[in-house]
Amino acid sequence: MERPVKKITRLAIANRGEVAVRILRACEELGIETVLLHSEPDTQSRAWRMADKRICIGPAATAESYLNIEANVRGALAAGAQALHPGFGFLSENADFAEACAAAGLIFVGPSAASIRQLGDKVHCKALAKAAGLPLVPGYEGEDQSVAHLVKEAEAIGYPVIVKAAAGGGGRGMKLIRESKDARELIESAQREALSAFGSAKVFLEKYLDRAKHIEFQIFGDASGQVVHYFDRECSVQRRHQKIIEEATSPSLTEDLRRRMGEAAVAIGVIGKYRGAGTVEFLLQDGQFYLLEVNTRLQVEHPVTEMVMGIDLVKAQILTAQGDYVIDSTKPRVSHGHSIECRIYAENPYLGGLPSTGLLGRVEWPEGPGRRFEYGFESGDEITSHYDPMIAKAIVWDETRGRAIQKMIRTLQDSIVFGVQTNIPYLIEILSHPEFVQGTMTTRFIEKNFPNPLTNPEPTSDEKALIEAAMKQIAARSAPAGAGSSIPSPFAGEWRAV
Amino acid sequence: MDIKIRHEGRDISAVAEMINGTLWIHYAGRTRAIEPQTGRRARGRAHGAEASGELRAPMPGKITKLFKKTGDTVERGEAVIVMEAMKMEYTLKADIPGVVEAVHCAVGDQVGLGQDLVKVKPS
Repeated sequence: MERPVKKITRLAIANRGEVAVRILRACEELGIETVLLHSEPDTQSRAWRMADKRICIGPAATAESYLNIEANVRGALAAGAQALHPGFGFLSENADFAEACAAAGLIFVGPSAASIRQLGDKVHCKALAKAAGLPLVPGYEGEDQSVAHLVKEAEAIGYPVIVKAAAGGGGRGMKLIRESKDARELIESAQREALSAFGSAKVFLEKYLDRAKHIEFQIFGDASGQVVHYFDRECSVQRRHQKIIEEATSPSLTEDLRRRMGEAAVAIGVIGKYRGAGTVEFLLQDGQFYLLEVNTRLQVEHPVTEMVMGIDLVKAQILTAQGDYVIDSTKPRVSHGHSIECRIYAENPYLGGLPSTGLLGRVEWPEGPGRRFEYGFESGDEITSHYDPMIAKAIVWDETRGRAIQKMIRTLQDSIVFGVQTNIPYLIEILSHPEFVQGTMTTRFIEKNFPNPLTNPEPTSDEKALIEAAMKQIAARSAPAGAGSSIPSPFAGEWRAV
Repeated sequence: MDIKIRHEGRDISAVAEMINGTLWIHYAGRTRAIEPQTGRRARGRAHGAEASGELRAPMPGKITKLFKKTGDTVERGEAVIVMEAMKMEYTLKADIPGVVEAVHCAVGDQVGLGQDLVKVKPS
């Protein structure tokens, strides 16, 4: 199987957080030295501590560090890397970056700049898909980007209309326009977010399907030129167009739909001469599927596919980049069991998901059979407001979907994150919701079932007693011997009231 | 630290830690943040629930848009400021109808948690 063309011995990672750690670990297994290209504040991260070499490429602002093509290329070259992995987000889907790497003699771990331009640009991708006869959601993807024209096009499509960043993903630069009066402001807002997150203000419009499921296919092209798919994931649980919970495989597909959608996904990959890991996203409504976009990179939710397929997509990416063949076409590809991923965000579930920043205290991820954790920060690290709020991912695998849900709930209950608020209570509520349990959720699941922030329940009698005891221990530890406690009981007020 | 106590005849235990004046405690599948001085659960935001006309930054971040200037009238629920933090935009809306009395920030400003941004005088 192995056909080494250009063995990579040192690889630069142009990313941060949990995905940087994920790539580091794949490199460790492959015996590849790592160079982390990081911003100034990210010296406080797990990836920084794990990397063999580290190069600071700029200050906290993403435009000057993680989105700076020249700084990344220069950093990788200075450290003597032969290859660069862009992770996801930031420059991972930037064709200019892929080209700049190639021009500097660096292997870009991902598809070619030409493939990114064809498939990654949502506007081009749709034209290709249209030509290939694949079903598309009605929309506008023209070059006239003036707000007045975009508003006119939105009116023509008919509300609700969704406005999206052409170069984007992850919900950034994406807004839902329900009524004519909000169109101008929301389009402008999407353009600003798109410019800030992806360096391009270009947007496109799409008819909003109001009871659709989000289904995507993992495709992979290896160095032999073969393109295959590793089945589907469902990511219908989204808030503000940002995925929260993903699973493989989808509970919603019939075998016929799975086959047809898989064929469409591979067809797109073949047209784009796709190499490496990519994702073809679809919306599914009333038994009809529509191509949404292609993500020309590793996906945040790639672990659920790895769990049900028994593969390592990051290693496969790196092997493909150095010219190895990774697809064994003599073996049937079958998925086994069910896997769920929960994205853990630093945000306050009791305040409608407001970002929560701070110094991380104790952090514990409860290991166990079929449990996997991807995280980028540990106790002592600071979670700042400069970057995405996703601090970790919890992934579980079990024989059936029902058991996987049960396992995820317990895993989240036993996870400890001190120092920032997290969406863990919110995730547990979602996983327990009948619609999720039945697998009938659509992309409007959150909007419909969780329109309001969660209510933080009053402490139980057990909790009050434990808090009391904790305060006493802390006071005893900080006070000199013999001195009385100076910290008042947290429930003093309540006791007086009783 | 680990907290082990006997409560109502049962042995129970929790994990707890004091971080910058907030007590974090994990027990029976739930993490809580408690502010010991008040006995209240940490609110995590600088302004209370009462409508006051004071718009304060609910998080550290950058001001990306200001829709109003001093002297403008605002409706309750009308968008006044757009902030960006963690790569997402948040719109701050007026909580009372009135007239903008003062604007304490400008587009591009990096603001801290709880910082005063705009004051609306009730009409």
